[in-house]
Amino acid sequence: MDLTDEERRILDGAFGEPQRIALGVLLKLGEAYGADRMVEIGSAHVVGSSYQIAGEAGIDIYSQLVAQGARVRVRTTSDPGSIDFARWREFKTPADYAERQIKIAELLDQMGVIPTWTCTPYTTFNVPRFGEDLGWSESSAVIFANSVIGARTNRLAAYVDVCAALTGRVPRFGLHVPECRRGEVLFDLDPDLSAGFEDHFFPALGYLVGQVTGDRIPVIAGVGKATFDQLKALGAASAASGSVALYHMVGITPEARTLEEALGGRTPVERVEVGRREIARTMEQMSTGQGGAVDVVGVGCPHASIDQMRRYATLLRGKRVHTGVQLWICTNTVVEEMARKMGYIETIEQAGAKLMVGTCHNDCPLGAWGFRRLATDSGKFAYYTPTTVGTECVFASTEACIEAAITGRVER
Amino acid sequence: MHSPHIILHGKGCAPGEFEGEAVVSNQPFGFWQGIDPQTGFVIDRRHELFGASLRNKVFVFPFGRGSTGTPGIFLEAVRNGCAPAAIVNVKSEPMIVMCALLAEAFFKVRIPIVDGLDANPRDVLRTGDRVRINGTTGEIEVVSRE
Repeated sequence: MDLTDEERRILDGAFGEPQRIALGVLLKLGEAYGADRMVEIGSAHVVGSSYQIAGEAGIDIYSQLVAQGARVRVRTTSDPGSIDFARWREFKTPADYAERQIKIAELLDQMGVIPTWTCTPYTTFNVPRFGEDLGWSESSAVIFANSVIGARTNRLAAYVDVCAALTGRVPRFGLHVPECRRGEVLFDLDPDLSAGFEDHFFPALGYLVGQVTGDRIPVIAGVGKATFDQLKALGAASAASGSVALYHMVGITPEARTLEEALGGRTPVERVEVGRREIARTMEQMSTGQGGAVDVVGVGCPHASIDQMRRYATLLRGKRVHTGVQLWICTNTVVEEMARKMGYIETIEQAGAKLMVGTCHNDCPLGAWGFRRLATDSGKFAYYTPTTVGTECVFASTEACIEAAITGRVER
Repeated sequence: MHSPHIILHGKGCAPGEFEGEAVVSNQPFGFWQGIDPQTGFVIDRRHELFGASLRNKVFVFPFGRGSTGTPGIFLEAVRNGCAPAAIVNVKSEPMIVMCALLAEAFFKVRIPIVDGLDANPRDVLRTGDRVRINGTTGEIEVVSRE
C-alpha cells in the first residue's frame, strides 16, 4: 500500500504503541483486500462496547491500550452496552455482570469515546455527511450511514473499529471506492404491493432482501415514499438476515436518484420480483412457533427515535399493559431526555411499559426472566432473539405489538 | 494411515504456519452465536457441525457469516485456547480475516488463513486429515490420512 510520511512514522512508533498496533492491523487488512492506500475518516463507531460481545478478551484488549495511553483521534461513539446503566437491577441483570460492563465503560471513557450507548449514533452526536469516509461497525448503523446518508464505510469488526478510531484512518477498499457502491441485485416491487405498502412491510422487505442478496448490493425499485424510521428498519433487517452494508432505493436514497444511477449504468446481475405473496411468505419466516400468550414485547430495534416515542405514547395513552407482560421500549439517552420533556415517557410509564436505555433485549442477559414468547416489530430482533433470548418470536406491526402488550396475546 | 501427496495452492489471507487435524464443513459458519468460547464446541443448532470441537483444528468451511461483533467471541476463544488454529475458506470475508489479524496484534497468536484454492477444499480435504497450512504462501498439504 502507498503510505504517507505520517503513516510510516505511526508504524515506526512515533505516535505511541496503540497507534502503531492499530495501524499495523489496518495495513494488513488493506493488503488482504487490495487497498491502494489509507483514507482519513470523519468519525468512528465502536461495537465492542457491550460486555456480551467483548467479554474478558475485550477488557484485556482495552486495558492493554489504555495502559499504553490510547486516545481516539476522531469523534468516536459507543454502540449499546449490555446493561441499562440506570436501571439494570430492574432488568434482573446479575451484579457481577453489570460490574464487568461498567469496567468496559471506564476503559472506553479513558480512550475518549463518547458514551452514546446506541446503535443509532446518527440520532445523537455522530451525524455523518454525504460522501464522508467513516470507520464504523454495528451492522444497522453501517447500512444506515451508507444507504440513507451516502457516507462511506465498510462493515468493520469489533476492535478494528477501535483501530480506526485510534489512527483516524481505514484502508481504502470496498465501499470507500465509488465503483464498488453500484447496485447488483434489483428488487422490483409489483404495482399492487407498491400502492399499498404498509409500515411493517419495510422490515419484512429488508429481511427478504438480506436473504436473497447476501453480501451483494441491492437496489429496491417501486417504493413511493419512506420515512427515516422505515429506512432504518429496512436496513437493520437486511443487515441481520444477510450481510448487506449498502442498499439503494430508487427515488429515495441519495445515490439512487434514478434506477440507472443506482446500477451505475450496468444491468443487474439478478432481478427479483416482489409482490404481496413474497412479503407474506417472508413475514411467516420471521416468526417461529404459533401465536398465543405473549410475555415480552420488544420495540425500538434499532433504538427508537423521537417520532417513534410519540407513536408509542399515542398508542398507550389511557391503556394498561397486561399483567405478566413486559413491554420494553429500547432507545438512547438523547431520545429519552427529549421524550421526557415532551411528556411521552410519563404516558408510557403510566401504562406500565418500561424504557430500556442504552441496551436492548438482544444485548442484555435475560435468562432470569424465563420468557417464552416475544412479539416484535423489528426484523433484526426477529432474526436474533430466538437464539439470544431463547424465546419463540412473533413478528407483527408496531400497532399489533402494542396491542399484544395490552391484551397479553399475539396472533400470527 | 498413508500420505496422499495432496498439495493445494491458494491465497494467504493471514500469516502463520500450523499442522494439525482438519474439520471440514460444506456450510457457511458464523462464530457469533456459533462457537462456545469457553470450550471451542459448535453451539449453532442449525449447523451440521453442532456439537463438534473446533479447538486447535484446521477449520475448513466455505465462507464466514455474521455480525460485526464476531471478533468478540472469536478472541474470547483465542484467549481461552479454544479457537481453531487455522482456517481454510473458499472465500474469506473480511470479518474472519480481521479476527486473525486482531489475535496476532493483541494476543500474539497467529491463525493462518488461506482461501481461493485451486480446488474446492471440500472436495479434497476430509475431516480427520492431518493438514499442514502456510498462511503466507497460501500452500496446504495433506500430510496423512486415515
